[in-house]
Amino acid sequence: MNGPIRRIAAGMFLAMFVLLGGLTWYQVVRADELRDDPRNPRPALAERGKERGLIVTADGTVVARSIIDPTDPRSFVREYPEGETFAHLVGYSSFLVGTNGLERAYASDLRSRRDLTISDIVAAILGRDLRPNSIEITVDPDLQRAAFQALGANRGAVVALDPATGAVLALVSTPSYDPSVLLGDDAAEQWEQLLTTPSQPARDRATQELYAPGSTFKTVVAAAALDTGAAVPGTTFADPAEFQLPGSEATIANANELPCNDGQSATMLQAFVRSCNTIFADLSIQIGAADIGITAEAIGFNRDIGFEWEVPEAVWDTGALANDAAALGQSGIGERDVRVTPLHMAMIAAAVANDGIAVSPHAVGRVFDADGNTVEEIEPAELGRAMTSETADILTQMMERVVTEGTGTGAAVPGVRVAGKTGTATGTGEFSNPWFIGFAPVDNPTIALAVFIEGSEVSGESASGGSFAAPIASELIEVWLAS
Amino acid sequence: MGRNAEAAIIVAASMLAGFGVALVNFAKGGSVDAQVGLTFMVFAVAFGTLHFSMRAFAPRATPLLVPPVVALVALGFFQIYRLEPSRAGLQRWWLLIACAVASLTLALLSRGTTSILRRYRNLMLVVSTALLLLPNLPSDWGFPLRGLEVNGSRLWIVLDLGVTAMQFQPAELAKLGLVIFFAAYLADHQKALREAHRRLGPIRLPEPRQLIPLVLAWGGSIFILVWQRDLGASLLLFAGFVLLLYAATGSAGYLAAGGMMTVSGAAAAAYLFDHVQRRVTAWLEPFQHYADEGYQIAQGLFALGTGSLSGAGPGLGRPDLIPNASTDFIFAAVGEELGFAGTVAVLAVYSLVMAVGFGISFRSRDTFRKLLAAGLTFVLAVQVFLIVGGVLRIVPLTGITLPFMSYGGSALVGNLVLVALLVQISHEEAT
Repeated sequence: MNGPIRRIAAGMFLAMFVLLGGLTWYQVVRADELRDDPRNPRPALAERGKERGLIVTADGTVVARSIIDPTDPRSFVREYPEGETFAHLVGYSSFLVGTNGLERAYASDLRSRRDLTISDIVAAILGRDLRPNSIEITVDPDLQRAAFQALGANRGAVVALDPATGAVLALVSTPSYDPSVLLGDDAAEQWEQLLTTPSQPARDRATQELYAPGSTFKTVVAAAALDTGAAVPGTTFADPAEFQLPGSEATIANANELPCNDGQSATMLQAFVRSCNTIFADLSIQIGAADIGITAEAIGFNRDIGFEWEVPEAVWDTGALANDAAALGQSGIGERDVRVTPLHMAMIAAAVANDGIAVSPHAVGRVFDADGNTVEEIEPAELGRAMTSETADILTQMMERVVTEGTGTGAAVPGVRVAGKTGTATGTGEFSNPWFIGFAPVDNPTIALAVFIEGSEVSGESASGGSFAAPIASELIEVWLAS
Repeated sequence: MGRNAEAAIIVAASMLAGFGVALVNFAKGGSVDAQVGLTFMVFAVAFGTLHFSMRAFAPRATPLLVPPVVALVALGFFQIYRLEPSRAGLQRWWLLIACAVASLTLALLSRGTTSILRRYRNLMLVVSTALLLLPNLPSDWGFPLRGLEVNGSRLWIVLDLGVTAMQFQPAELAKLGLVIFFAAYLADHQKALREAHRRLGPIRLPEPRQLIPLVLAWGGSIFILVWQRDLGASLLLFAGFVLLLYAATGSAGYLAAGGMMTVSGAAAAAYLFDHVQRRVTAWLEPFQHYADEGYQIAQGLFALGTGSLSGAGPGLGRPDLIPNASTDFIFAAVGEELGFAGTVAVLAVYSLVMAVGFGISFRSRDTFRKLLAAGLTFVLAVQVFLIVGGVLRIVPLTGITLPFMSYGGSALVGNLVLVALLVQISHEEAT
């Protein structure tokens, strides 16, 4: 009788190994996947009440901190003293709706390591510091506040960068929201409310939304023309009132429906300064999709430009445009399927300012520990050369003329040499999206910026880049240079 | 290993319970309080009683069985304390009662031997059947003993004495009575059941008349499934019977027939009954049915995955997010807070208990005692496999609790009496 019992026993021990296999599968092999499943609230709940590190600017302005919970002295609550001004950059760390922004990108530094997990206990025994690290951001708080104020009730974004290092000086998206509403027990309802508000305050228009760049894209086309030698500023083009797109019924006209110059001929410089669509459509077709694509990709299109979090890739579809001259003509003026984020457009202005070299934008300057010692210094990361140094020089002169005598006079700052380019892109419905990109001072640029307005009832129907976005740029350059 | 070493390990395991409670307190920001001392005292008194009963009534019994059981109860208890502090006090009372009943079992059996149980096998059958039927008593009549429906299953009886009401799951004791009956019946009839097979080519088929007990057991299981909606007990009893039948006869044909009956019964049940259907859906697609049927299993898997290798630490995870964590899903709760290290340790301790149980069976010379020891071990092992396998999606969830660890008084009493029976057999068969 022991025989059958022994066989059953063997079967049962085998079954225990099957259980062990199941355990290995779920607790070892698939453990990370299960832990990070968005439906699993445990990781966020574990963070609740824990101390997180500071997020401060270089001059000491606190934008996120943990304070002792007034209702429970053993617990911490997160505080965002600057509220909606820094919302999209700083993000939030909510136990109910997750994390976002720098709170997410730097979560592993900002989180407390006092979890009493075995590895933490070992670390504590070895004398390692378990207090959270803090991060210092490169943003200038005065410029950030000024940008937020300047956008006012508009839907839009402002991104300002240090051209040489890519350091973010301001990054604003409006309308905004106060991240602290996402910290309480009613966070899920608050979040739902943000998502259902028509103006979409939770949307990060600066880094997460792709828009048609409109005429600001002419900087890329002009760079391609100069780099390839297809045109110099003085190269003349025919100057019709309407440009007939080849192989198509459609035409392209200028904003004022008039010829660019005298109806006979106009130079590339004139076309750039006056933002003539007719001539840039013509020029784009002459350069060709592939050569514009080379410059566009050198300046970050169709690839990751590198930032604290993933930014949607800007779109220039060389393949589709190579055999479609009409579409190429429309794309050359930043319409049709060309798409880019305001952050990326600021980086393009910065590349022109930085002698043609594009630098990846970054908002965090350094990580430091609880005693203030630097743990990690964030070095500028070059994206690569976007255009030759010579091209950058010529383009700078052309952009300066835009501000002194062209569509961008609204961006002028008394006593300062400002370079820029306006854009008025097709938006939704009857509204257009005003743009301005530029930098200052021309001889030694310290700020490059992109101002983007998403056309709506607030900006009105007649809003153009020159009338609407350029004055905001002027104001911000003034604030920046005054500080 | 002798009795003194056994006593030392029991004390150490009792300290483990107190230590666990202290760790949970720390995690919640508390400190060492009365709960810690009380838990240690209750464990020491309860298992001390059992230990001294063994010294008195079963001195030659193996000292290997009780210590791992104490460790399991201790691990389970601190998880219960962590999940439902208000129920932990009640569980402590049940532990005292369970150890007292187990000690009483040893005392009573020491007057004769376990052979008494064989003599009263028919009484065991009648009492067990009556116990199984008790929950079907009306829940609204004047008599103080009433049935109770919980979550759609009829497993509970309530003894309402006016001043206080007590709830009990009689199936936990009935399953012991039935294992005793099976072992006795099979010991008496093993010859008849083993011989006279019909041959159909190379396949040996049992005589139709020999299949009668199998069919009766199957009918009983179906009855439990249909009228009490207790999938777990139904499966457990039938599996226990089929395994014992194979153990007694060595005829693999019984295993095959029993296996086919289980599969066909389960398939029919899944097709016919909504409550079985829902469990199958939850088993196969927990994440697709996250909002309803699959929620419990999905949360269990999240708990295990988040626990990962070393666990969140006692009191530092969120096993309270799993519905019924302290009963059906206590294994997942352990997995979240103690990690893979903890769950593997738990499985290792169960394997040790099983090994000791099988060892007692192997060494028994008396057929009845051999079958009884095997049957009791089968019942334990099948329960562990069904519930842990259910949590790990190896089998559908059957609503069985984890022996020694889950919250529940009746199960603790039943399982410690089971341990007492194994202890008594090992004492009687020791040379």
